[in-house]
Amino acid sequence: MEELSRAQIRDLMAQVLRNQGRALPDDDAAQLREIGFRSLDFSELALRVEDETGEELNFDAPGLRRIATVGDVLDFLVELQRQ
Amino acid sequence: MSEHTDPQPVPPASVVLVSGGSRGLGLAIVTDLVDRGVRVAAFARTVTPELAKLAAEHPDRTHVDAVDVTDHGATSSFLRAAEQRLGPVDGLVNNAAVGQDSLHAHTAAEDIARIVETNLTAPLRLTRLVVRRLLARGLRGRIVNVTSICAQRGFPGLVAYSATKGGMDAATRSLARELGGRMLVNAVAPGFFASEMSAVLGRTQLDQIVRRTPTGHLTEPEEVVPVVRMLLREQTNINGQVIVVDGAASV
Repeated sequence: MEELSRAQIRDLMAQVLRNQGRALPDDDAAQLREIGFRSLDFSELALRVEDETGEELNFDAPGLRRIATVGDVLDFLVELQRQ
Repeated sequence: MSEHTDPQPVPPASVVLVSGGSRGLGLAIVTDLVDRGVRVAAFARTVTPELAKLAAEHPDRTHVDAVDVTDHGATSSFLRAAEQRLGPVDGLVNNAAVGQDSLHAHTAAEDIARIVETNLTAPLRLTRLVVRRLLARGLRGRIVNVTSICAQRGFPGLVAYSATKGGMDAATRSLARELGGRMLVNAVAPGFFASEMSAVLGRTQLDQIVRRTPTGHLTEPEEVVPVVRMLLREQTNINGQVIVVDGAASV
């Protein structure tokens, strides 16, 4: 299956937050800490991307710690699909 | 048939094999034992300059080589070569291990297999090798498994690693029973070190652990070494135990 675009991943991220009664800001610079997007939310999002693409996404935690904004999440997952 | 042998004490280990002895806690254990006149055989995937220097300074009491603990043939050859040089190995420190830093859901199946192979299967096989040689010669000995506080407390990012350490804690108890007093088998479970494997936890989590630790600091290898030495060398009746060295962080 084809890899997901940044916009498609953004939609999935919005779904993850919506299921928790929260909204995803339009601004890519929005801080994850402020919108309450935690590491398990990231994990959920990665698994949703996996579902769509059929490819397992595995990664080490240190890479995850550098992620601070919505844009970082999208960049990380776009990049991860290419590895 | 009784599981027990004569109630004779197990003598102090005189020739100790240390796996993963080239850096960190392993190197500290090797250095401490050599400093106290014990003959030491140490291997690791890579022989660091520190371990090579120690071996060069004490050629009559050390045997070191580059061996991957998961390579059974190589560990077997290393043990035979070490015994030819130093005499029968009657002490074993299972220290070699690989760390982990990934959420379980995103850890590749091959990585889980590698962690289990290195941290659980390989030390069990090495233990079997040493035990068989000791039993065949009618000797007594001591085994120390270096495990981790992760075996008893939960930490994110360390699921497979924790499983292997818990496995070694469990094996420690059963081995102590099975070996019927001919060998003393114990585990030492350090808390998180400030360096090395503790890169698995973020700074925030490490700060939290320090705040929760009555002694106010993370464990240092030098604080674990005397416990390992005691289990290998002192006359105690400690057997089948897991000794936690973490400043009461987990209490």
